Amino acid sequence: MDFKWTEEQELLIQSLEELLQREAPESLMAELDAKHEFPFKSWQALADNGILALGIPEEYGGVPADITTLTLVCETLGKYALPLGIIYSLGIITIRDIIQFGSEEIKAEVLGGFVRGDLPVALGITEPQAGSDAAAMKATAQIDGDDVILNGQKMYCTLSKIAKYILFMTRDSQGANPYASISMWLLPTDTPGLRFNLLNKVGWWTVPTYEVFIENARVPRKNLVGQYNSGWPQLMANFEIERLALCAASVGAAEAALDDSLSYANRRVQFGNPIGSYQAVQHILTDMAIKNENMRNYIYKIAWMMDQGMSVRHEHAMCKLYVARAACEVTDSAMQIMGGLGYMMDHRVQRLWRDIRLMRIGGGTDEIMYNIAGPQLLKQARKG
Amino acid sequence: MKIVVCAKLAPDASDIEVRSDGTISLERAEWRIGSFDLQAIEAAVRLRELNGGSVTALSVGPLRINNSKLRKDLLSRGPDELVLVADDKLLNADTSVTARVLAAAVQKIGGIDLVLTGEGSSDLYFQQAGLQLGELLEQPVFNAVSRIEAAGGSLNVERSLENETEVLDVPLPAVLAVTTDIHTPRLPNMKEILLASRKPVLEWTLEDLALADGEKQRVETVSLRAPHPVERKRILIEGSAEEAAEALTAYLSKEGVL
Repeated sequence: MDFKWTEEQELLIQSLEELLQREAPESLMAELDAKHEFPFKSWQALADNGILALGIPEEYGGVPADITTLTLVCETLGKYALPLGIIYSLGIITIRDIIQFGSEEIKAEVLGGFVRGDLPVALGITEPQAGSDAAAMKATAQIDGDDVILNGQKMYCTLSKIAKYILFMTRDSQGANPYASISMWLLPTDTPGLRFNLLNKVGWWTVPTYEVFIENARVPRKNLVGQYNSGWPQLMANFEIERLALCAASVGAAEAALDDSLSYANRRVQFGNPIGSYQAVQHILTDMAIKNENMRNYIYKIAWMMDQGMSVRHEHAMCKLYVARAACEVTDSAMQIMGGLGYMMDHRVQRLWRDIRLMRIGGGTDEIMYNIAGPQLLKQARKG
Repeated sequence: MKIVVCAKLAPDASDIEVRSDGTISLERAEWRIGSFDLQAIEAAVRLRELNGGSVTALSVGPLRINNSKLRKDLLSRGPDELVLVADDKLLNADTSVTARVLAAAVQKIGGIDLVLTGEGSSDLYFQQAGLQLGELLEQPVFNAVSRIEAAGGSLNVERSLENETEVLDVPLPAVLAVTTDIHTPRLPNMKEILLASRKPVLEWTLEDLALADGEKQRVETVSLRAPHPVERKRILIEGSAEEAAEALTAYLSKEGVL
């Protein structure tokens, strides 16, 4: 077993760390968070330095990268600039869907633009009545000659207003099986008929989320991504990597929280000694470090399995469940170590604490992860 | 324009450990490209991009510098090829030895129009090797160079001095030591990192440079120790600005600072 990264991975991460310190310093992330502003310049810097090209096919300006390398990138983004890690992770599912299922025309437009710094394609799946039960969606696509007319309402459609496109999921109401009745469309966000309502969230203040109303939005029929009524398996094909990416960004955030806690515990003097000298504090810090180590091991094992072409059907769900909860615990412990200072809006820890909480909900809730993993474990046992 | 850029590979200062007796341990230190040399590499690559030609990175030092990751790191930043002179006789080389080895390597490469160096090494920072190199090569040599422009067969060069900026027309071949603010070094991307492993690396020994016995050091290091750490006083001054200023000056006087 070899836990060492390749030299290329080490050099890439060294370069990315320096890039983030230059282009996405903590002071800027704090300022943008307070202003609820998207980190446009930092995102463009990722494009200019080839980070967004990773994993995109070379014919569209990309550079080959395996899933382990992409996971390393997400973790590093999460550690130094969590919003960038979140944005990048959200983009992974839609961008990979385009790579796998998009037409040549769509690929050239979307992938080329992404490599040059376009925002990720937003994912339009959740609806007011269709959250964890996503296949209960009601959005429709009505074919009209060479066009298709889209209608519906999407919830929690992150980035949608500021992105160029939404990967818009519709359901054919005639289909008996909902999972075989869903289609995927590339919907330009400047299409007439779209209205956006900004939603206020507890965290992710630099990454805006919208409710989107789509009324008779007409797009060319060739904007269909993949096959008609095959949208569900197409979407599922890349949910695993999206969850892994979100996990990796969460691990990075937990590492940042531990770094802040260790630094504070060495510095903060109470009762005549640094608080880190007290066992009660050391125990919390050690538990945080163990969780971080476990989370890292878990995500890189999943990444390695995916790179080997192995199925991670239930493993990825267990990993997401563990990492989301452990990262929440670590950021919560960081706030506890830092006491009153950690609860102040001036400190990074409160932002990590708020931002990480969504990881137990977004990309599939804890409860859905149990629903994915449990039956698979039982099925395996029956086979064995 | 055929350019050689000198880059020292040295232990990362942030990895230095101080033992209880004050001696320095570099055992766990990762070796990196000298932080002041990154600007020289950037200046060389930009000159090539604007004027054509080639950039050869040159590094001399102990065997440890002949490391696959360091080679890729150097080459991913833009040079076309790398020449390494690696020998453990160069482990604690002083600036005169370093300059003589660099000069021999530059002469062996041959036909060089311009040699660039950083303003000093990241570990010792004597700021002498570049100037000595120019002298040994018997070429015009300048330090504190903050801008370089090719102008026909010569260079238009700006030097940032203490109270003035000097503008010079420097004939080629020449040796220039650049300042840290000449350019912000680019950061290599994955494509460049992957390409780096395909670029040529020439590995030379001191014997290859006819310096088989090494070169005599002119500086003898008697000992190297970190200063004793001083416990922080952790004094927090409270009160109005006037009271705080008064208390501060009283503390500073008591400590003999004022």
